[in-house]
Amino acid sequence: MAYLSMGESHRRITDYLNRFADAINYQDGDSLARLFSVSSDSPSLLSLADALNVFQDANRLIKQSEKFSQFGEVVAPFFRSLQCYRLGNLVDAYGAFEKASNAFIQEFRNWESGWALEALYVIAYEIRVLAERADRELASNGKSPEKLKGAGSFLMKVFGVLAGSCDLQGKGPKRVGALYVTCQLFKIYFKLGTVNLCRSVIRSIETARIFDFEEFPIRDKVTYMYYTGRLEVLNENFPAADQKLSYALTHCCLSKEANIRMILKYLIPVKLSIGILPKKQLLENYDLVEYNNIVEALKRGDLRLLRSALQENEDQFLRSGVYLVLEKLELQVYQRLLKKIYIIQKQKDPSKAHQVKLEVIVKALKWLEIEMDLDEVECIVAILIYKNLMKGYFAHKSKVVVLSKQDPFPKLNGKPVAS
Amino acid sequence: MLGLHTAGGYPSSGYNNQPTASNSGSYANYTSYQYPNYTSDTSSAYGSGSAPTTFQQQYKQWPEYYSQTEVTCAPGTEHLSAAGNSNHGSSLPSVSGGYPTPTNQPQPQPLPLPPPPPPPSLNPTWSQPGGAASGAHDNYWNQTAPSFQTHLAAPTQPLYQNSLDSKTSYENFQELKTAPQGQNSQYPVYQVSQNYQPTSPTVPSFDARRVSKLQIPTNPRIASNAALGIAKTEKDGSAANSLPRPAYVSVAVQKPKDKPTMYPKSLCGYVERAFGRYKDDDKKREACEAFMKEIITEAIAEGTLYTRDWDSMPLFTLPDSHSVNTNYKKSPIRRSKSRWEPLPEVKMLDKPVSASNETGKFGSWDKRTFNGYSATKDNSLSSFRFSASQQKTPSKSAQRPMKRQRIVNGAGLTNNDDDASSDGDKDQSLTAYYSGAMALADNPEEKKRRESRSKRFERGQGHRPDINYFKPKNAGPANLYTKRASALMLSKSFDDSANQAVEDIDWDALTVKGTCQEIEKRFLRLTSAPDPSTVRPEDVLEKALLMVQNSQKNYLYKCDQLKSIRQDLTVQRIRNQLTVKVYETHARLAMEVGDLAEFNQCQSQLQILYSEGIEGCLMEFAAYNLLCVILHSNNKRDLLTSMSRLTQEAKEDGAVKHALAVRAAVTSGNYVAFFKLYKSAPNLNTCLMDLYVKKMRYQAAVCMSKSYRPTVPISYISQILGFSNATAEGNGEKVLTGLDECLEWLKAHGASLITDNTGEMQLDAKASSSTLFMPEPEDAVAHGDSSLAVNDFLARTS
Repeated sequence: MAYLSMGESHRRITDYLNRFADAINYQDGDSLARLFSVSSDSPSLLSLADALNVFQDANRLIKQSEKFSQFGEVVAPFFRSLQCYRLGNLVDAYGAFEKASNAFIQEFRNWESGWALEALYVIAYEIRVLAERADRELASNGKSPEKLKGAGSFLMKVFGVLAGSCDLQGKGPKRVGALYVTCQLFKIYFKLGTVNLCRSVIRSIETARIFDFEEFPIRDKVTYMYYTGRLEVLNENFPAADQKLSYALTHCCLSKEANIRMILKYLIPVKLSIGILPKKQLLENYDLVEYNNIVEALKRGDLRLLRSALQENEDQFLRSGVYLVLEKLELQVYQRLLKKIYIIQKQKDPSKAHQVKLEVIVKALKWLEIEMDLDEVECIVAILIYKNLMKGYFAHKSKVVVLSKQDPFPKLNGKPVAS
Repeated sequence: MLGLHTAGGYPSSGYNNQPTASNSGSYANYTSYQYPNYTSDTSSAYGSGSAPTTFQQQYKQWPEYYSQTEVTCAPGTEHLSAAGNSNHGSSLPSVSGGYPTPTNQPQPQPLPLPPPPPPPSLNPTWSQPGGAASGAHDNYWNQTAPSFQTHLAAPTQPLYQNSLDSKTSYENFQELKTAPQGQNSQYPVYQVSQNYQPTSPTVPSFDARRVSKLQIPTNPRIASNAALGIAKTEKDGSAANSLPRPAYVSVAVQKPKDKPTMYPKSLCGYVERAFGRYKDDDKKREACEAFMKEIITEAIAEGTLYTRDWDSMPLFTLPDSHSVNTNYKKSPIRRSKSRWEPLPEVKMLDKPVSASNETGKFGSWDKRTFNGYSATKDNSLSSFRFSASQQKTPSKSAQRPMKRQRIVNGAGLTNNDDDASSDGDKDQSLTAYYSGAMALADNPEEKKRRESRSKRFERGQGHRPDINYFKPKNAGPANLYTKRASALMLSKSFDDSANQAVEDIDWDALTVKGTCQEIEKRFLRLTSAPDPSTVRPEDVLEKALLMVQNSQKNYLYKCDQLKSIRQDLTVQRIRNQLTVKVYETHARLAMEVGDLAEFNQCQSQLQILYSEGIEGCLMEFAAYNLLCVILHSNNKRDLLTSMSRLTQEAKEDGAVKHALAVRAAVTSGNYVAFFKLYKSAPNLNTCLMDLYVKKMRYQAAVCMSKSYRPTVPISYISQILGFSNATAEGNGEKVLTGLDECLEWLKAHGASLITDNTGEMQLDAKASSSTLFMPEPEDAVAHGDSSLAVNDFLARTS
């Protein structure tokens, strides 16, 4: 770091304070937001941090003038946070930032219009990011990471401020900020593995009269739909998951490929389980090749391929939470296999095509190197019929599957497999 | 000496002071503080001029004695001579004072004390009862002794009355104590009372004392006992006298001044209530005692002791009242041995509040006194009379302080070590002592009384370990309690002031070290700090585990035993392979009977233990865990996390593989695979699957009825759904039973059955598809958890 003179430091700090005061006086939310974005590593903030480390008595500067001292409760801890951040002490940086945020929220509460929402967004974002980094630091020091949890409860408070701001008139200018905070909360809860905490926020977003979902910024709506869609995947509620994730996909800005990929990561398994296969091109465009073999297995009725694909990416699928969904595709693979047998038989002898002998199925599975005895295959067949993946019945005495002559293998067509 | 210390310490600051200060220091304090008080109090309340004077004299003497005593202590001869001079009575009082305290507070342990030897030393030191045990003790004793002597000289007339009073007071005490707390308090009281009774007021105290002394040399223990008895008697007397005074004893002991009247029962109840609140807290107890003293003194001064409505009197919120009660309750009798035995280090650590040396010594004293106790009774009787009559006022005052000191010590002390094993021996020795005492005793009636009384105590005490006089164990625990409680208090205060966390508590110091040697133990949920005398050490627990494993008794018994083992492990903070074994054993047993609640408890503990790197059947239980999540919680997220946690090694383990296969079968609804896995389940996986079998069968039946046409043979269903698990053996009869079972089951679930032309029972699939239902479980209970239905549970387990 180049040598920084005292005077230069003083100038930088005063400059920041001036900009801060101006932003508030002119109600310039965007400028104010930029002044808070610690983790953006913007040059102006970095140089300010250096200046703070040289000029240790910034608090005196703040107190010196009436103009600055009114923001002292926000700016002073923010300076400390910035200093700590610059020095790599993220735990303290988080602590100071939370203090500054608390002071800011108090001020924000008193402003009638929502001009400072942009700044609030930045604060909500920063507090989450700083907490995550602080937790990483804590964990590497062998201490229990707890900052993210703290950030979660802080954001809950912010959510309350935003939701409570519009009770009187029914609609307040700040309510549109609630969804952004909700999304930050989702991120925290998913990271912490406490997704059940999402429920209360979702309920208030979806049922409170003050919120009109269409009113929220589109970016927040997409994020919200993505996370709620993921929750539906966990619940194996595929139609709802499809609806939410599709919403997110169709409204997501096309330039945000990473976001689209994240959405597809969950949307594809959902679509697969309601019988809709993606084009190979899509998987390749968004680097979702782990689904390639699974799609292929569904197309070919290749149980072995499905199993190996699942095993290959087991860790990844388990972590993202789609493993159980993908595993359930097995029944569709059986269905495909039986359909292939049926088609072959039909080509050979159309009159007897609707009668599939159990032995044939066992033999087919054997070719796939899957050893199953008659009983088990019989069970699979029974389940296929039971779940309406196959129309017909099974005659136990003759060990024959008797298929319906009309549409023996109904397509799912966007409906989930019956449970 | 003791009395003095205690007295001084209590009023001023409490035990803390004493512990830190060396004996000498504490003495000094005492003299300065309480003496004056005593004298004044006694004089005012009792109105006897002689008493105050004597007290003062005694006090003055104390310091001197103290210094002297140290010198004299070592040589037994000196003691003997001194004893002759001092009189048993004097020694007794001191002893008594010591007793109560030790008893109350579970023998604090005499760690520092030179253990076994004390009894003999005591004998020689009879004149100065305290001196016998250890040097420090000796000092105490000596001091006490002098006080007694002085008393003897001073007191003259009141002998009769005093003795009577004391008796009555004791009895009253006993009653009071017994009523509320039971036997703890009673024991000492009894003996004391006995002593009193036998002694005829008129008997010349001097002679009696001498006699006793003479005898004492023969039986050191007896002598000590006698001393104890005397002490007790003295206590009574002192208590009566000192009522107005701030002595601890005064609270419990305090009895009508000169009259033989006892404290009103309501007062005793009040006192007990007050103390009852602070069983675990030494400091509080002390404070409580001080407070009680004040209250009672006040009442006496106002003359309202008997008129006040103690029952409705609100309890003050002071910290300790227990010490007094506890002293009474816990008669030192049994403890003697245990105290001598190696004390756990914990005690030392805990001591912070009370001085370690003193406490240890005290504990030893208790033992001695206790030992001598029975024997001395007879002897002491005569001496008693003397002391009581003569010493009444003075001795009382002196004794009180003694008591207090002891109490304090006891409170501070922690006796972890009382050995359960030694109990039996102790008891025997006690009986021997008793017999000796009996021989000495002049009155056969007294013997009978004593016997009956002791029996009473035994009966009552059996339940409460703390209270048991006979069992030395008890004393230890009490101390532990107090220590722990105080430590907790300390930590709390820390938290308030400086955000110090629980981590700052020295848990090692607070950990119980068990002394119980019994292999079998019933589980009882702890409602207070554990008592080391009822906690089994690790080696005993190992035997207990083996015993349970080999037991032929039913699950209820085993569960109870295992829970008590788990409890003992927990309170001793034993976390090793034995702990794992115990939890594994319990988990398996619980699984076998389908006790999911207990199983989950064990399972969650095991997860923690395994994660600490303790070896065990990790894979087996990982499989159980998986099965539990799959079959019983049905939480997708939990399942995902437990699956993602499995290591590659785990995935290759047979049991885990099986569990994963079961999971796959369940998620796909593959009932054939499920029941195949059910039959081939390793370990106790079957037991967990058992709980899911009903559900799976029903699903299968529904599925089959929808997909099969026209019929399905029952034999096939029976085989597929695991009814005939004997097929492997090829035993026709068993297959039949499986078939019958299947039939029953199908009927119960509303299936429609037909017989085909070959006579084989068939499931009419089409008909059944609309009639199948899941019957209300027969064992359904209102609260929804059938495992809570006692009858069903018993039927399953027995």
